[in-house]
Amino acid sequence: MTGYRGQGTTTGGPGGLDGLDGLEGLAEDQLLPQLVAHLREHRARLRHEWADRIQLAGLLHAMTPQEMAAETTSVYDNYVEVLETGSVEALQRYARDLSERIIPRGVETHEVVGIVLLLRDVLARSLFEKYQRDFGLLNRVLDAYEPAANRIANTVAVSFVEERERVIRQQQDSIRELSTPVLPVRERLLILPIIGVLDRERARQLTEQLLNGIRTHRARVVVIDITGVPEVDESVANHLVQTVDASRLMGASVIITGLSPVIAQTLVTIGVDLSKMDTIGDLQGGLEEAERLLGYPTAGGDDGTAP
Amino acid sequence: MVRRIVAARVDDAAMADDLVQETLVRVLAAAGRVDAGMLEPYAIATARNVVATAWRDRDRQRRNQHRVVDLDTPDPPDTELLASEERAAVAEALARLGDRDREALLAHEVSGRDTRSLAAELGSTPGAVAAQLHRARARLRVEYLLARDHTEPPTDRCRPVLLALSSGDRRRQREVEAGRHLLECDACAGLSQPLLDRAPPREDAVRIPVDGDGDVVAARQAARELAARLGCFSRTDLTLIATAVSEVTRNIVKFAGSGEVVVEVLEEPRTGVRVTARDTGPGIPDVERALQDGYSTYAGLGLGLPGARRLMDEFAIASEVGRGTTVTMTRWCGER
Amino acid sequence: MTGPRLVSILRQGSHLIASVHTALDDTQMTAFQHDLVDRIGRDRSRGVVIDVAALDVLDSFATRTLRTIAEVARLRGAVTVVVGIQPDVAFAMVSLGMDTGALHTALDLEEGLALLDRIAGGRRPAVGARGGPA
Ligand SMILES: [Zn+2]
Repeated sequence: MTGYRGQGTTTGGPGGLDGLDGLEGLAEDQLLPQLVAHLREHRARLRHEWADRIQLAGLLHAMTPQEMAAETTSVYDNYVEVLETGSVEALQRYARDLSERIIPRGVETHEVVGIVLLLRDVLARSLFEKYQRDFGLLNRVLDAYEPAANRIANTVAVSFVEERERVIRQQQDSIRELSTPVLPVRERLLILPIIGVLDRERARQLTEQLLNGIRTHRARVVVIDITGVPEVDESVANHLVQTVDASRLMGASVIITGLSPVIAQTLVTIGVDLSKMDTIGDLQGGLEEAERLLGYPTAGGDDGTAP
Repeated sequence: MVRRIVAARVDDAAMADDLVQETLVRVLAAAGRVDAGMLEPYAIATARNVVATAWRDRDRQRRNQHRVVDLDTPDPPDTELLASEERAAVAEALARLGDRDREALLAHEVSGRDTRSLAAELGSTPGAVAAQLHRARARLRVEYLLARDHTEPPTDRCRPVLLALSSGDRRRQREVEAGRHLLECDACAGLSQPLLDRAPPREDAVRIPVDGDGDVVAARQAARELAARLGCFSRTDLTLIATAVSEVTRNIVKFAGSGEVVVEVLEEPRTGVRVTARDTGPGIPDVERALQDGYSTYAGLGLGLPGARRLMDEFAIASEVGRGTTVTMTRWCGER
Repeated sequence: MTGPRLVSILRQGSHLIASVHTALDDTQMTAFQHDLVDRIGRDRSRGVVIDVAALDVLDSFATRTLRTIAEVARLRGAVTVVVGIQPDVAFAMVSLGMDTGALHTALDLEEGLALLDRIAGGRRPAVGARGGPA
């Protein structure tokens, strides 16, 4: 923190400065309340300064100016409150609130830690400006402020990381569930739209769900739409081949849709056996093919559905 | 008399005296109805009871109880002959125990001393005494079988293996490679059956001797049942495990003719099941190649090993030409 | 096959319905193969449905045997459909790496017979038999 002590060039902040000169005679445990009073008094100016610093550092760019104003105000007030009470519970609550509020906006860990450190420094600088005329007092003030400020920064960082992991886990779980719905669209026909990355474990869950779905719905045709799978490489293709084979063992034909011709070409080139896979460009085409297989009108068959 | 039996095999005469004396004192104090002249069979019968109880051999136990309770009724001649042979075997087994073990065992089983008072006397703890008694009983069972059959184990490794089996100590069994030894040593294989049959049944492991086709089905069913008891495997998991067991067990039948499959529950580092398929067959000259798809020396699909590997989380194979093959594979509960 | 009823082979019209009632070892599986192939020849069957719903494992040997039956039956002019493969069994079969491309399959007996009818009707079996021999 020596940096702050060395760069005080402005002389005092606006207003209220003279009235606090009596700090000299205060006991240590009176210092923090006085600081808090100071931070409250200059809330608008300091919050503004802080927001400028955040912008300058390129943090929280995912937020609109309005969100930024609302969040910084809220964070500022909480910060000062924690500083005032020194309560660990309040601090943790504050950190958790902060995390819960900003994680869904895609804020990264380094950003949240960054803004809290910036706030710490903005406030420290204001204290420096205020007390720079009395070096002894300045030292005492900063000695009271810094440990409390660092504690807030640490707690926020830890809490944020924990909360973020929890949210990510939750999201992964819900994505898992949401992205593998086995949808019966009409008699004997299932659609399985896959969204997201297809790794070994997920391929397994998906295949199990599909196989059980085939039995439950007595499906004869399944359309697996992989438009939502970001990257179709060799391993994804091999998972799909297994899913197709297993479905077939249960008597259901599988049509894969959403596999672009370019990717299909690439897969064949690297040796993936797509010969057993019935691939059709888009979902609509896949459904038409499925209905043809099931003997619905266009197919012209009379035995499409079992008795 | 008891003294003669024990002394015959105990070098330290003073120890034998103490032993006998203590036994006699306890016996006399315990049962006024027992004639002093019948002390010898009583002590022997009690010692045999130790063996039989641990084995939970009902027939023998009944016979022992009969001998203890109704000593006046003479046994039929052939039973008497058998009994005298067994008596000799028990006496010899007792004598082969270490002094401390024998002393503790007799004090506990014959004299009825509890582990606490024994611990106090020995300056030990009840737990340590209980462990010592457990080892002594295990040893007594082994020595009894050896004495009964008038055999000496052919190798140095035999006794440690038999002891590990008799005590049901799994870690020790692994340390001495008990499974492998049983496949190689006929003497121990013969003795192991009564030891394994009569050891306390293990809830968390099952061993399936593999001798033919039918054992392939038996092994995979046993594996499925044991794994299902853990409660953490889905139906699909259980089928994957059973299928893998089917493949490796068939490999034993096809390549080695016989062997064994052991399925165990694992608690460390996570919950799971481990399958060990072991044989003393010709071995696999090129393990790497055997793990490749399509490689097979019999008319299967060549999926035995590589297929089983795909079904399990962990898979290891050790093989030595002319000595045999051991496949170890594990599947863990929960997400992988 | 003698002894306890491990399998049953029943005739229904020009089809045979073979049901496996319990886990079979390799010898029993092979005996089943011979019995079934014999029956196909004797009865001049046009179609065979093998119901394996009772099996909790179809390992490499069992799968190979089913494939062999289908192939021999085909040479004798009969179409074979395997029905009743359970979801977990199907999953294990593909995880094991079984090539089952040549097998006709259907969900259950009813579907299997329907598939045989479609094939017998002269139509290429559009559903449940893709990749199978013509
Ligand atoms: Zn031995």
